[in-house]
Amino acid sequence: MNKAHLIAALLATACALPASAATYTFVVAGLGGEPGYEQRFREHAAAVASAAEKAAGSTANVISLSGDAARADAVKRDIKTLAARMNANDSAVIVLIGHGSYDGENYRFNLPGPDLTDSELARLFDELPARDQLIINATSASGAVIERWQKPRRVVITATKNGGEKTATRFAQFWAQAVASEAADTNKDQIVTAAEAYAFATNQIAAAFKAETSMATEHARMEGNDAGRFTLARLGAGEVMPDNPEVAALLSQRGAIELDLNRVKEQKASLPDTQYYDQLEEVLVRLALLQKEIDAKAGGGATP
Amino acid sequence: MMTRTATLVLLLFAATVGAQSIDYDPRRAVELRPCDEHRYHGRSEQARTCYAKLLESPTPIVQAEAAWAVGDIQRANRIFRDTVQNNERAVQPRVRWARLYLQTHQYSDAVELFGEALKVFPNDVHAKLGLASVYAERFEGQARPLVEDALKQDADLIEAHLLTASMDLEEGQLDDADKALDRAMRVVSKEKLPPLEVYTLRASLEMARGNNPDQWIKRILDYNPRYGAMYQQLAHFEIMRRRYKEATVLLRRAVEVQPDLWGAHAELGSNLLRLGNVNEARTHLQAAYSGDPYSPTTVNSLRLLDRIDEFSISEDPVVIGQDTYQVQLRLHKKESDVLRPYVLDLTSRSIQSFSQRYGFKPREPITVELYPDHDDFAVRVAALPGIGLLGVTFGYVVAMDSPSSRPTSEFHWGSTLWHEMAHVFTLEVTDHYVPRWLSEGISVFEEWRTGPTPGVAVTPEAINALEKKQFLPVADLDSGFIRPSYPGQVQVSYMQSGLVCLFIEQRWGFEQLGVLLRQFDGKRTTAQAIEATFKIAPAAFDKEFDTFVRTRFANVLANFEDWQRQMQAARQAIQKERWADAVEPARRAVALYPEHVGGDSAHLMLAKALDKLNRRSDAIVALEDYRRAGGWDPTALRELARWLDEAGRTQDATNLMVSLNYSDPLNAEVHAQLGERLLTAGRNEDALREFQALLALNTLDQAPAHYGMARALREMGDKMGSRRHLLDALATAPHFKPAQALLLKMIEERS
Repeated sequence: MNKAHLIAALLATACALPASAATYTFVVAGLGGEPGYEQRFREHAAAVASAAEKAAGSTANVISLSGDAARADAVKRDIKTLAARMNANDSAVIVLIGHGSYDGENYRFNLPGPDLTDSELARLFDELPARDQLIINATSASGAVIERWQKPRRVVITATKNGGEKTATRFAQFWAQAVASEAADTNKDQIVTAAEAYAFATNQIAAAFKAETSMATEHARMEGNDAGRFTLARLGAGEVMPDNPEVAALLSQRGAIELDLNRVKEQKASLPDTQYYDQLEEVLVRLALLQKEIDAKAGGGATP
Repeated sequence: MMTRTATLVLLLFAATVGAQSIDYDPRRAVELRPCDEHRYHGRSEQARTCYAKLLESPTPIVQAEAAWAVGDIQRANRIFRDTVQNNERAVQPRVRWARLYLQTHQYSDAVELFGEALKVFPNDVHAKLGLASVYAERFEGQARPLVEDALKQDADLIEAHLLTASMDLEEGQLDDADKALDRAMRVVSKEKLPPLEVYTLRASLEMARGNNPDQWIKRILDYNPRYGAMYQQLAHFEIMRRRYKEATVLLRRAVEVQPDLWGAHAELGSNLLRLGNVNEARTHLQAAYSGDPYSPTTVNSLRLLDRIDEFSISEDPVVIGQDTYQVQLRLHKKESDVLRPYVLDLTSRSIQSFSQRYGFKPREPITVELYPDHDDFAVRVAALPGIGLLGVTFGYVVAMDSPSSRPTSEFHWGSTLWHEMAHVFTLEVTDHYVPRWLSEGISVFEEWRTGPTPGVAVTPEAINALEKKQFLPVADLDSGFIRPSYPGQVQVSYMQSGLVCLFIEQRWGFEQLGVLLRQFDGKRTTAQAIEATFKIAPAAFDKEFDTFVRTRFANVLANFEDWQRQMQAARQAIQKERWADAVEPARRAVALYPEHVGGDSAHLMLAKALDKLNRRSDAIVALEDYRRAGGWDPTALRELARWLDEAGRTQDATNLMVSLNYSDPLNAEVHAQLGERLLTAGRNEDALREFQALLALNTLDQAPAHYGMARALREMGDKMGSRRHLLDALATAPHFKPAQALLLKMIEERS
């Protein structure tokens, strides 16, 4: 993802999903093969699921499988269970953590017992009623599926650029960090979106390989538009939007100011410095004052 | 037998001839000798005509030599190859073919061919000498035994005497070189051989002694007015002594008298690069490439020059007392904004410290170059011996690895810069006559005494060498750097040299180190300088030094095996997380050998075990001891900073974190934390520097850096700058509440 796309995705957080829509998350930690991986995969899955529950405000919106429970039939069964709870206006987030393999034709997600192939998984995702879908395949060789799983209104993220990157990946570790701390929340709105989490994870992976001065064995990819519309975590005070029409109206005003802000920023190159900063100040002061009002009414950091 | 692949590579060569050395082998065909005579006297056209007539000689080896001499390398190679293939037991053709490979920079193939010749006839002295010359060129210790072996077979081998003299000259053993040249000259006179190479080394010897070499130069040019190799050889020894400016003058003369001496063009280009003269360097490197496109040194240097625009150059005045010094930094653009303040700060501090300690004020601007790619750095030092170097000083130019070129736990760039800056002073104080051992010794000593990681850190390899009595006599210490005779000897020699300087400081006082340094004016050997300074013979000096080091390290020397056992016990306990079992062995290991502060230091194991046992205050003491001993592992020190914070020692924690910038300057978290700490402590300018570095690191989340700069600038009274960074912070993160609050406060104050 280039920088322009990333900025566009980050800015897109201003246009969040409809308030009535819910987000349903399904997390699977596959076969570790050795105790170290088993434990790590389980921990990453737990962190992702916990953030999703907090963001959704309900444990019913999240199903997580790990260890021996994460067998192919259980995956099929639980994904259908979750599908039964959602409708077309909802959004679905699927997170696959663990090892994957690719033989040049088929990708396989490694599970206890029989694996699931990329086409079996694709059929399951296609059966989800939610039109907005975010699928994160954090396994090795996951890049093999990115084109196969693409679909309108679906964002697909893979830990590797293709099926040839077969080394155990670090992507899930940093994805879990992204949704569990403020580090990824670069616009400081107390929400971590998929765009922010992706930017954070890829940045951290590059930094980790650089610090070790070793050759990078994974290069994540993201395909699909507006990853910023998927809320993965709500941080600190900004958990769930209060059911308060007054606050909702203010948040709507805030969205409008954010669009003004984007317009000013887009003009940065064409405006003289003084004028740019004057315009920036005017918009940012409006935003800061409005935020004070929102905080006073919502009792601390309401977020859409 | 010789591989076909290597042969094919050579077949790609066009006419890539440089200076062909003299073939002293008595087996050389008689038909070639009249032509050789022309060549040795610089009568190029006559030589060419003469050799050309031999191209159709019925004797293949004569044909090959003739082809080589007229520059038809491809043909020479083909004939040598066919000759060798037709006669598996051919020795001399293999030796000569190997020499051809040497000239075309294919050293491993040459070694293989010399080896094949020796398999056929193990006593072939010319194959031995060929092999020895490869080793000598690579500064490998096997060279001397081979030469000595050849001389045992035949004491009249002129090439053996020349090789001996050359190695003696490189190692500063001038009297030995003198004797070897006497022997060589006797053979030359007796056999009526061309004296060019003997005279050249005679001239080199005169220069090494600080005398005028003109009488020898005149004799050489009278014999052969186009003998540029003489100037190239003189330059080689000047480069070995790090006298780069003087080498440049000689190399210019080399290409003047012999414009097609491509090796001299290449060396001149490299040397001009060392001196920072990029444009002229490029001209000579391109000239070298046009005549010899397969020299890796030339190709690498030109590639480096092709990417010179990736580096940014800054020039800053450094004011110390009444004096102003110019410092030029050449840093890669991708990291220059982050590194510049720290590099400049340390360079300035080193100038202040060394100018005072050694009573010398730099007379020219000092350039410091940092390379994020170690291979680029290696190109800068290609002409110097030594592998795995971190930095090199060419007088007023310092080139070194950047912090980003190596893992942070392996490389303390601040200490390396300090070490290199000490070289600037020791080289310039002595007009580059300081011997290698003393220059390195003072640099190591200054790392221990005044550098960013003070503490006499001595490696187990050095202790081991001391125990095995492998330390060299001081008068011979240079050979440990130049031609090591066992693996790791270069590193041991660094340590020994540092310890010699420490000994001088302890025994005679620091001032005497400066007095010793100033003895080196180009006319004194180490032995003479030692005698003149300390009024004792070098042997007596060595004896006292031996007593000093054996006393200082008595504990570990007497208990080295016990120390190893304790280390092993502590390591195993740590691995098994049996923290209580780790404490005593680690403590005992520290007591036996506190100077060991490497990656697996007992100090670190002790601190970890104590912390795990909830004995935090003891763990703090352990890590503070580690740091005092010269330990600098950034992970351990970040942990220590956290512990100090938790113990309420905020100021100590902040100072410790400031020191981390000299080992781990590309760590965003350190800059972010340090910026906040310094701001809290009211050290606003320092805080601003940290936030600037954080911003320059171009992290994903830029808002905290802008916000930090806004606050620091506000405290410094720069309202305009503060406003801009505050607005930049909010443009990046519009919901950043602390920044929003400051914005509203700023507006309120303004109205």
